[in-house]
Amino acid sequence: MAGLNLNDDAPMDVIPEEPVKPPAAIEKLIEEAKATLIAQENGEKRSLSMVVVGHVDAGKSTMMGRLLYELGRMDEKKRVANERGSAKVGKSSFSWAWELDGTQEERERGITMDIALQTLNTPHRVITILDAPGHRDFIPNMISGASQADSALLVVDAAVGEFEAGFERGGQTREHLLLVRSLGVTQVIVAVNKLDQVEWSKSRYDEICNLLKPFLAQSGFHPTKTQFVPVAAMEGINLSQPPPAASPLHSWYKGPTLVDLLDALEPPTRDINAPLRFPISNVFKGATSGIAVSGRVCGGIIVPGERLRIVPGDESAVVKAIDSDGDSLPWAGAGSNVNVTLTGVDPISLNVGSVLCREGQTVPLVSSFTAKIIVFDIQIPITAGTSVELFHHSRDVPASISRLISVLDRSNGSVIKNKPRVLTKNMSAEVEVSLRSSTYSGPASRALPIPLEPFSVNKEMGRILIRRGGETIGAGVVLELLT
Amino acid sequence: MKLINKHIEKDGSGHVTVCPEDDEDMWHLYNLIQEGDRVRAPAIRRIQNVSTTGTVDSRRIRLHLTLAVARVTWSPSAAPGADSGAANGAAGAAPAASATVEVSGRVAEENQHVKLGAFHTLDIEANKNVRIEKDAGGWDSVALARVEESCVPGRGAEVAAIVCGEGTAIFCLLSEHMTVVLQRLEVPVPRKISNQSSAHEKGLARFYQNLYTSFLRHVPYSSPSLRAIVIASPGWVRDAVFDFIMAEASRTSNKALLTARNKFIKVHVNSPHVHSLVEALKSPEIASQMKETKFAREGLMLDKFFKMLASDEMRAWYGPDHVALAADRGAIGTLLISDELFRSSDAATRKKFVGIVEDVKQKGGEVLIFSSMHESGQQLNQLTGIAAILTFPLDVEVVEAEEREAREEEERRKAEEGEAVEAS
Ligand SMILES: Nc1nc2c(ncn2[C@@H]2O[C@H](COP(=O)(O)OP(=O)(O)OP(=O)(O)O)[C@@H](O)[C@H]2O)c(=O)[nH]1
Ligand SMILES: [Mg+2]
Repeated sequence: MAGLNLNDDAPMDVIPEEPVKPPAAIEKLIEEAKATLIAQENGEKRSLSMVVVGHVDAGKSTMMGRLLYELGRMDEKKRVANERGSAKVGKSSFSWAWELDGTQEERERGITMDIALQTLNTPHRVITILDAPGHRDFIPNMISGASQADSALLVVDAAVGEFEAGFERGGQTREHLLLVRSLGVTQVIVAVNKLDQVEWSKSRYDEICNLLKPFLAQSGFHPTKTQFVPVAAMEGINLSQPPPAASPLHSWYKGPTLVDLLDALEPPTRDINAPLRFPISNVFKGATSGIAVSGRVCGGIIVPGERLRIVPGDESAVVKAIDSDGDSLPWAGAGSNVNVTLTGVDPISLNVGSVLCREGQTVPLVSSFTAKIIVFDIQIPITAGTSVELFHHSRDVPASISRLISVLDRSNGSVIKNKPRVLTKNMSAEVEVSLRSSTYSGPASRALPIPLEPFSVNKEMGRILIRRGGETIGAGVVLELLT
Repeated sequence: MKLINKHIEKDGSGHVTVCPEDDEDMWHLYNLIQEGDRVRAPAIRRIQNVSTTGTVDSRRIRLHLTLAVARVTWSPSAAPGADSGAANGAAGAAPAASATVEVSGRVAEENQHVKLGAFHTLDIEANKNVRIEKDAGGWDSVALARVEESCVPGRGAEVAAIVCGEGTAIFCLLSEHMTVVLQRLEVPVPRKISNQSSAHEKGLARFYQNLYTSFLRHVPYSSPSLRAIVIASPGWVRDAVFDFIMAEASRTSNKALLTARNKFIKVHVNSPHVHSLVEALKSPEIASQMKETKFAREGLMLDKFFKMLASDEMRAWYGPDHVALAADRGAIGTLLISDELFRSSDAATRKKFVGIVEDVKQKGGEVLIFSSMHESGQQLNQLTGIAAILTFPLDVEVVEAEEREAREEEERRKAEEGEAVEAS
């Protein structure tokens, strides 16, 4: 990753195992970290993370590229390089998006395929942004990003027909909103983009806000935590600066800019006293030595020098260094999105979906559990035995809804019906979920248990999503671990 | 499978002798042989001879044994390279792995070497005759249909399928009754890291290279019985995979592979997991070409059931008890039933399901027995193994209530009769 001491060219094969710090030193470091974190909670500059979501081509990456430039995270040289490069392949309209769409295929196709992680500095916030793909085939990656965020920016395309395409059934505007809400995000900023395409029409802007508001409320976003802002990402209107007097937007919009809204986002409460949980979302070669993993600290504090367990498995690794977007950190607390360089470990034992834990406080492994779920707007009802994909952080595994336990009242949670035959749309229910292993001929896919915790123990480790046939059919929280 | 001999009495007792040839035949045998049958097949047994001088001489001999079956077990073929990563993906050729059926029980016919009642376990061998004898009622319509189906000469179409995602590929071979997972390939591909993408691209390049090696090793692309090679994936991985395979074929002048070009079918699926096979096989590209194959029919039928569940819940029933009720009322238009249900060790249970099948057929309904060796069959198994599409809507709860009332009525009547008898 950029910034992992790229200029240090120590040979790869000499990886001295990092000396493990004595427990007392670790405890001391954790205490220091806690004190600093508490001080930061009341400080000037607070940090949080935000996932950028919305239907394909809404302008998410363009907006983020433009913001990075306006806020000084992308220099002029880089901007010119992106402009030239994209023009050369006949994709100049994606010049801003190139900053985030880094892979060859993304650039060729003009489509974001996986999460890009960047950091934005606003006057009072340090915001980790996770730019998500809008294409429906890459929702697994979007989920991986959303599960690492505490707030969301929804980008919608104001152009006639485009907003509608994203908002109708099967469009990602709806699915993304439901997904981020189900993953615990409660505050959302809606950027109504491409207003240049609709002659800066106020009535179109109002129309879109009015269509979205009821859906947002219905999906569980409180109106006070939902903000709307009119923008045009390509031209950079109303992102970090209010619309200039010459802009038609100036005549009817006097509200906050996008950056004003970002600057007022509420940072999450951090559970730094919980046992350490670090679900891995990416594994790659460290720039200098060792192997690096990225992810979000979902409880506790991670410090260099400690030997951590990798769950599942019997392996452990020593934390060599921690960094965030290139800046090396003395430690990282719950809620931070960081890269962790590990040594003394065979890369084979590190997988996306594994969780780093402290010895003696490891996360449980399960292959079946009960959950309380909300059924989404589905057409085909859920039967006992429905084959699904279970999503938990950055991992998705084949599973089945092995038992329909009861249908619950959505408002008070009381049981309406036991052992229902099917679950239909918008129901709330308690179900049993089991990981699936296939038993037909050939090497059986081992249904390896996955690390999971009840929601009552660790909220971030206890949320699940359920998909079938490329559609999210339900979301919920883990109640009880069975086997 | 070759049918050697068949002799069935009117009462459903009798014997059938067949000669299994491949894995699929083993699967048929596993489904045909039930507890309580007598099976005669070649076996190997250790024999001890005590000579006149008292020395014990032990040797293994080949002989034919007839066993009273106490247990039948199935082990699917264990293809090599279960989880081969970049390191071991390219090593070694595939040994011929095959499925086995193990039959154990007591020896039921005295033999010069083995005493009656001695316990024995034998592996059914390919290309050797096996004789299955059942008691009265044993050769029911479902068993006979399977004998017939399995002995149709000529192998059915085979299809190879590769379900892939970025860094994962599952190689499968589908025949009429079974899906064999040949290999699960996993090559770690680092995910994109902001604006430095070379690690991702290098990982992908390694993945395609490994995938190609596995392809050559596992997919019998030049075999005439291989009808199609399906590449299924979300996103655009399938295009990249296909292009890579074809580019390598040209580069290495692999004529056979180049001529197989038109066997390839690229299909979009929603997930890179093996259960996407069902989705791939019911896609229009494939269903139109292979609608007569068992796996395509199973996939389409399961789909039809779920669609009915969505449009008219009262016409889509599942679960043994509910389906039996629907059958009683002559409401079943299409019955979906898994072969697993007929393998019950309890004869009465099997009889019940055979009864439902016969009943539905007799009333003009359609019956499809799913193979548990296909993903569609596995999904039906999860759904209790039995489901039905009804010809007219019926409310499960109303029917259950009616049944309950009828039962109570019956009991009341019996009780009254009982009182009447006592009183008289
Ligand atoms: N006219 C106009 N076009 C815009 C604006 N913002 C973005 N676009 C164009 O919309 C297209 C898609 O932009 P992206 O930034 O790639 O959209 P995205 O939401 O990141 O797309 P995915 O990540 O693939 O879902 C590009 O051609 C942009 O130039 C805008 O404000 N006005
Ligand atoms: Mg994008």
